[in-house]
Amino acid sequence: MYDADVIVIGSGGGGAVAAKELGEKGLKVLVLEAGPFYGNKQWQNPNSERGGEWSSSYHDLDIGLYKKTYNLYENNMNDVVSGAIRFGPADRRRDPWHRKMPQQGDIWQASGVGGTTQHYWAQSPRAFPSAVDHIWPISYRELIPYYEKVEATLPVQFSPITPKEELFYYGAKKAGWTLNPTLNVVTPGYRPNPNAILPPNKHLMDPNYSMEQLNHMEGCTLQGHCVNGCTSGPSVDRIAKRGTLVSYIPLALKTGNVSIRPNSFTINILTEQDPKEGLRACGVQFRDTWTGEVGELKAKTIVMAAGCIESPRLWLNAGLPYNAWVGRGLTNHYFDWVGGVFDEKDLLSILGTTSVFPYAGHTSGARVDIPGIGIFQVSCLSPGLMSFLTYGFSEAGYNALRPPEPGEPWNMRGRVVGPELKELMKHYSQTMTMLLLTDDEVRYSNRVEVDPLLKDENGPIPVIHYSPSAKTLQRRDKLARYACETLQHAGAKKIIRSDLPTGFLLHIESTMRMGHVVDSNCEAYQVKRLYIADNSVHFNGIGGPNPTLTTQALATRTADKLAHKYFGHSIETDK
Amino acid sequence: MQEAENCQLPADNQTLVTFRALVEAIVPHTPELAGFGELQTLGAADLGVHYYLAWELDHTLALFFGIHLTNFPLAASTARLLNVGAVQFAAASQLIQPINCSHWVISPFSALAPLDRIRVLAMLEQLRVDLGTLPPPYQNNGGNVKFIIDYLNRATLFGTYSEWSAYGSTRLCTPTERVLQSFPIGWEQSGYPGVSLGYRALRGFLLTIVRDKGVSTIV
Repeated sequence: MYDADVIVIGSGGGGAVAAKELGEKGLKVLVLEAGPFYGNKQWQNPNSERGGEWSSSYHDLDIGLYKKTYNLYENNMNDVVSGAIRFGPADRRRDPWHRKMPQQGDIWQASGVGGTTQHYWAQSPRAFPSAVDHIWPISYRELIPYYEKVEATLPVQFSPITPKEELFYYGAKKAGWTLNPTLNVVTPGYRPNPNAILPPNKHLMDPNYSMEQLNHMEGCTLQGHCVNGCTSGPSVDRIAKRGTLVSYIPLALKTGNVSIRPNSFTINILTEQDPKEGLRACGVQFRDTWTGEVGELKAKTIVMAAGCIESPRLWLNAGLPYNAWVGRGLTNHYFDWVGGVFDEKDLLSILGTTSVFPYAGHTSGARVDIPGIGIFQVSCLSPGLMSFLTYGFSEAGYNALRPPEPGEPWNMRGRVVGPELKELMKHYSQTMTMLLLTDDEVRYSNRVEVDPLLKDENGPIPVIHYSPSAKTLQRRDKLARYACETLQHAGAKKIIRSDLPTGFLLHIESTMRMGHVVDSNCEAYQVKRLYIADNSVHFNGIGGPNPTLTTQALATRTADKLAHKYFGHSIETDK
Repeated sequence: MQEAENCQLPADNQTLVTFRALVEAIVPHTPELAGFGELQTLGAADLGVHYYLAWELDHTLALFFGIHLTNFPLAASTARLLNVGAVQFAAASQLIQPINCSHWVISPFSALAPLDRIRVLAMLEQLRVDLGTLPPPYQNNGGNVKFIIDYLNRATLFGTYSEWSAYGSTRLCTPTERVLQSFPIGWEQSGYPGVSLGYRALRGFLLTIVRDKGVSTIV
């Protein structure tokens, strides 16, 4: 009657973790993923041919195919319309899947095995305890063993120092921030990023090893391509940047209990009425993105991990019971972005070089945490991505038409155009940029809903609305001042505040909140046997820290709770 | 530049002229930078980034129309949005610099001086325009107008400073068929050395996590 014990919908930051944990408990798991499976022998040409249907073996993973797709070129990898890492079907001749967002911004999510962790920067901090305790339905203490397990599995380690981190620490110390040597952040301070990136190759600084050799060995080579597809590693499961495609997915396949079907967009949740349990989930329908055929699978339990937009969309399109909080309460860390341009002679005296080397090292390797306000973290990208984030993406209009008031800690605000832009980009190598993550207040009006008229092949399309609260705006402005003052202290000669659009959505959280849509075990209140294991179950934006690790800790815990309730397994933390 | 077979862009001349004027205003040709090498003078139009915008906009939207999934090309309507904006901008006597009359008939937006083109973008983004006169999908839809004006800016920069133009004659092909034909000019202008397998850039460690029996300590 059943095809599996569990069906997991989505193989990104959360779904892959749930699949691995459940597979290790001996449960039979099927994973449905809407996008492609890169680096797998079943799909030799994943962007132009349908290839196979399922992968069930660790031995399907192929480092040659992986490195052929992940070629590190920023336009090829990250073009939102047609890149290898986009939210769309595997077939790159086709258009991406549309989301309607009637405001400035963009949604940086990716389909494909590994989901958005394919291009995430691997930052893996824990939530701020102050954003969880006495606010969430569960305590921070309850999360700690699961944090520890995920951190050991990925693994997570503090970032090494490269020139840009050295410059960041130099500025942070001069601005008065103190070192915060902890994973549990309760006071402000600076620290290296806890990143899911393998430590640097121990032979990296030895010139007897060529870069070609090092690239085929284990360990980070500081190649700076976290966002464009890391290639350092001897095999798929030992790639340095630990997106779930190279970490949890190989571990899931190794259990022998997990099968993954990419190119399969889940369009419906099947339910039934049970005399004892009431309404419960019992299967899914999915659409093959190459053939258009609709398939059906049955399982004893379902884990929805389609992401903060697609999970509520699926709930709504499946006609599951009305819940006033489905799709509501979206948080996003309302980002900002600042950059400082340095003189070569100043860099020479601070770093001993005339360049920040923005393209070397972890994409983001150091941060200042400020509980109650947020985080600013040094974040440097290849020039195409850096140019648009720094000079072309803004809620504030054009700097030339509305320059900042004197006395602000930034010289420019908003988009820069014309000869001034070219002059600035000429100094890309002397520019240090930072991403700002705001402690974003939950608002009921921020939401994902489905359009009453517009559909794509997967059903009514999502519509997203996001507008920050007054408190979020105040916190973000404070963060921008702190970050720009740090750049001033480091000696930047020109400082730009991009003032990113409100609708730049990367850290989307809390659209299916714990305590509202799911219970404290992440099972839906209104549909038994339906669990959720993505960012959407977060009660809030966890204070500003990057959300993936918390989702992965919760997914580990959810797998534990599910296996206990429906399959009689003991709870791991009770052992 | 000779385009590869089957990789032609269907965009019309007015669309390309309009987008060319747009990308020129954002990333201009700068003869004044010739002292830093001829490459530094090249702007987005020299790199053909107006073709990039047209390709992207024509490949970004697919929705069900009737019972079929249908592509809705957006390049031509987006160019018309800029031209309608330019006409309203001029009609409201907001021009700061004289227009180029010979371009007006083909593309009013391209007839404006570069800074006036930026002012048209700002006017549209702030919705200081008669929304009813705009072409679909922008007509009476301020959210779409705001989204697309912002997109045009960032896409121009991503097209210019990523490797896109270096795909040369294959740059308008489907992405899996593009072949890199030279070192990207935008990367050269910014001093980016290109993709790399690694850097010997390690300067040490500030903190390290040590794990023992499921518990982490920081050293």
